[in-house]
Amino acid sequence: MAAMAITKAITVGKIRPAAEPLHVLGNHGAYEVFPETEEEIAAVLQAAHAHSLSVIPMGGGTKRGWGGTLEKADILLCLSSCRGIVEYSPGDMTVTVKAGTTIREIAEQLAVHGQMLPLDPFWPDAATIGGVVAANDSGPKRLRYGSARDHVIGLRVVYPDGRVIRTGGKVVKNVAGYDMSKLFIGSMGTLGVMSEITLKLRPVPPCQSLLLLAFPNADFPAIRSFVLAVLDSTMEPVSLELLSPALHQAMNGRDGYALAIALEDGEKAVRYQEEWLIAHAPPGTEIRSWRQEEAAHWWSRFYRMFPSGVSPADRQAAEMALKIGSRNLDVLELVKTCHDLGERHGLAVEGHGGLGHGISRVYVKGDPARFAAYLQEVRTAAEERGGYAVVQHASLAVRRQLDVWGRPPAGFSLMQGVKRAIDPRQVCSPNRFVGGI
Amino acid sequence: MAAIDPLVRELSQIVGPDAVLYRREDLIAYECDGYTVRKQPPRAVVFPSCTAEVSAVVKHLHERHIPFIPRGAGTGLSGGAIPLGGEVIISLVRMKRLLHVDYENRLAVVEPGFVNLKLTNAVAAKGYYYAPDPSSQYACTIGGNVAENAGGAHCLKYGVTTNHVLGLEVVLADGEIVEIGGVPDTPGYDLLGLLTGSEGTLGIVTKITVRILKNPEGKKTVLAYFDSVEEASRAVSDIVAAGIVPAALEMMDKTAIEGVEAGNYPVGHPKGLEALLLIEVDGISAGIDDQIARIVEVCQNRNVSEVKVAASEEERARWWANRKTAFPAMGAISPDYLVQDGVIPRSRLPEVLEKISRISARSGLRIANVFHAGDGNLHPLILFDARIPGETERAVQVGSEVLKACADAGGSITGEHGVGIEKKEEMRYIFTDEEIAAQIGIRDVFNPQNLLNPDKLFPKPGRCAEMRTAPGEAR
Ligand SMILES: Cc1cc2nc3c(=O)[nH]c(=O)nc-3n(C[C@H](O)[C@H](O)[C@H](O)COP(=O)(O)OP(=O)(O)OC[C@H]3O[C@@H](n4cnc5c(N)ncnc54)[C@H](O)[C@@H]3O)c2cc1C
Repeated sequence: MAAMAITKAITVGKIRPAAEPLHVLGNHGAYEVFPETEEEIAAVLQAAHAHSLSVIPMGGGTKRGWGGTLEKADILLCLSSCRGIVEYSPGDMTVTVKAGTTIREIAEQLAVHGQMLPLDPFWPDAATIGGVVAANDSGPKRLRYGSARDHVIGLRVVYPDGRVIRTGGKVVKNVAGYDMSKLFIGSMGTLGVMSEITLKLRPVPPCQSLLLLAFPNADFPAIRSFVLAVLDSTMEPVSLELLSPALHQAMNGRDGYALAIALEDGEKAVRYQEEWLIAHAPPGTEIRSWRQEEAAHWWSRFYRMFPSGVSPADRQAAEMALKIGSRNLDVLELVKTCHDLGERHGLAVEGHGGLGHGISRVYVKGDPARFAAYLQEVRTAAEERGGYAVVQHASLAVRRQLDVWGRPPAGFSLMQGVKRAIDPRQVCSPNRFVGGI
Repeated sequence: MAAIDPLVRELSQIVGPDAVLYRREDLIAYECDGYTVRKQPPRAVVFPSCTAEVSAVVKHLHERHIPFIPRGAGTGLSGGAIPLGGEVIISLVRMKRLLHVDYENRLAVVEPGFVNLKLTNAVAAKGYYYAPDPSSQYACTIGGNVAENAGGAHCLKYGVTTNHVLGLEVVLADGEIVEIGGVPDTPGYDLLGLLTGSEGTLGIVTKITVRILKNPEGKKTVLAYFDSVEEASRAVSDIVAAGIVPAALEMMDKTAIEGVEAGNYPVGHPKGLEALLLIEVDGISAGIDDQIARIVEVCQNRNVSEVKVAASEEERARWWANRKTAFPAMGAISPDYLVQDGVIPRSRLPEVLEKISRISARSGLRIANVFHAGDGNLHPLILFDARIPGETERAVQVGSEVLKACADAGGSITGEHGVGIEKKEEMRYIFTDEEIAAQIGIRDVFNPQNLLNPDKLFPKPGRCAEMRTAPGEAR
């Protein structure tokens, strides 16, 4: 029945029964469908809508373990063939790309013109722009550059019934009508399928460097006052990311907490800031630095460190990743709490968090039976500070035992209303998102 | 004397008798906002002093199916706060406290009636500021800024209001109070982003948490004079192409310069100029001189007639006062003016400015251009005289033609002033009926009875009723 409906919508060669019947991360599909154009995406959704089939859109699959309790939907809509740059105007510093284009591919094309996408999500080789925007992923450099909601200026969205709706536009400033793009950023594929994304760009900074400040004796008051001094200064760091001891060890083979401070600007400005930071670092700080390609290399290792839907299958069952949101400076306490709780629960925990942007991430390895208790304590610590903790990656079996999203947020009934207005038949990623949306 | 509207008594019981206006003469000031082409008095104006009062007033009106409009300082330029018939205005100007500043976490919490510039003034002593800087910042409220997603000259580098709002408390159309955001990426749909720029049609903002920024270490400002609009426009693109992100990149054409020089803050620009650019670079001091040198070079390559760097903070402030008072300054050279707000890809500036000058010639109305060139946000000021019969209508028509030219160049009909009542029909220049219906679908979630700022933003229904079209047709 499902197969019949889909074969009418798209050529047979682009449909196949799932190669593997099950996936350890779930969010699978009975059929895998590979559209190459927006028209094909629309035809598939139209058919799904007409026959009340469920559809899970997927880009590179790096976030397959993020949310959702479905083993499989009727259709896994694989967007990796919808790729490429649709329109790039270097003079306007805007680009329109198809959703299945990887972050790396975009970066390479923009670099030719000395420009960049000011987003540093994880797994750039595999992650697609559609997936990054749908999951609202971001990295440490959002401190200076912002996150997807600051860069996306327009979308083409295939609504769950197959209609194509444009949001925003292609110009960098635009307040015509509602800022509908915002609804789809971070919607986890529950409101339709983005087919094209238009983004604002920035020039590639001529000079970049990375200072790694290590604090072997974990003197938190000293770290805190240093960070406050940086934030209260006129320095313009691009990241101010706290690394937990285990992560510092994994990245650099050294012990203790560390701060990864990226500087990206003209050469003189970078050198000046390096000097300032070194001069103001607390006594006893061990400082290492990398410049240009070496700094870029450090970051590219960093973006690949953590569990994702494309890490080796044998690891998937014993890993979990959490995303924590808080006020900027609470990151300090929360990263420390996550580390300490790891020791108490006998779990290996690597964590990092942005002082100055408020997003932390924690990667947990060990006995999955202990994950729920660990999550609960981390969540409590975050919520006590007005923040939240969500499970960003875990196997389906683990997710089914955990409360992935925590309690429904304020305004939840409005969110349900938005879902009902756009996807009344629950075609797109049913039950993947907070509160069962 | 007409009997007093019983509603006035009921509202007085909620907010107190000194917080309700209802007399004809008192309502005149609320007939319009900064868009003066259309006027209509509200049924009454209420001035709640706290969120609970806003909620109580809204509940009362909602239960009785009486429409209502939130209003800040009334500086909006698209008629968003103008009554269309029978609405009660809920003015937020008495809710004007700065509630909290948290320097460590770089945020401030304000009530909606708090005036934009006051926030920067309040945190200036510690070296901080609030980035969105609409030219009306001395008067407009942050609540109004959130509703319009206001921009300003320095938004080129630092982003517009939506990039600086961290959390909101909102009273919904039925009086329910919700707090959204607060920490980044809160799970769920981004209601914060959706509400910002919704022009008071999705909720009444009663509390706002915004980001504050540290003042940049250094700042330099350049003034460049050109004998040709085309060369000035090309210089804009060249600066951006050179990899420089200026904090601000503003342009004025001949007519605009004539206006500002006749206004209250003349700079003494030379006579006979065709265009000028006002360019500001900020950031780490160590890099700024190099950027300024690059900018000067770019301007020289575009045959600049004179280019100078502000020698002092005082000079810089004079240049900015001249620019920021450009709209009111037009009063010195024309009895009336209408501000437009189209956006175009900045690479198409020369062509669109040329089109605008043709529209001006054909209509016989002068158009002054003073605008945010760096992000392609045009502000054509259409000069007219309302006393001449038919001229107001002609100005409105010219405005619409200008927006069509922007839309045709791949742009938008509004970059920061909003749709309001002014540009409702022009929404069709950039959105299909189906896309407009999709937006109305969202409004209906928040504002199902269309009581909250009714009939704004969207063109008349009928033509934009839900229609099935083949997928892909929207392109
Ligand atoms: C001389 C001049 C220069 C200007 N320059 C700029 C500029 O550079 N950039 C720019 O972006 N704008 C500019 N504007 C336009 C205007 O100042 C902005 O749109 C401003 O944000 C409006 O704020 P306000 O408090 O006056 O709002 P109002 O005009 O009172 O209201 C505007 C809209 O917001 C709604 N609203 C108001 N308060 C609330 C609330 N608390 N909750 C929900 N909805 C609310 C109203 O219903 C209305 O639809 C300028 C205007 C003038 C007159």
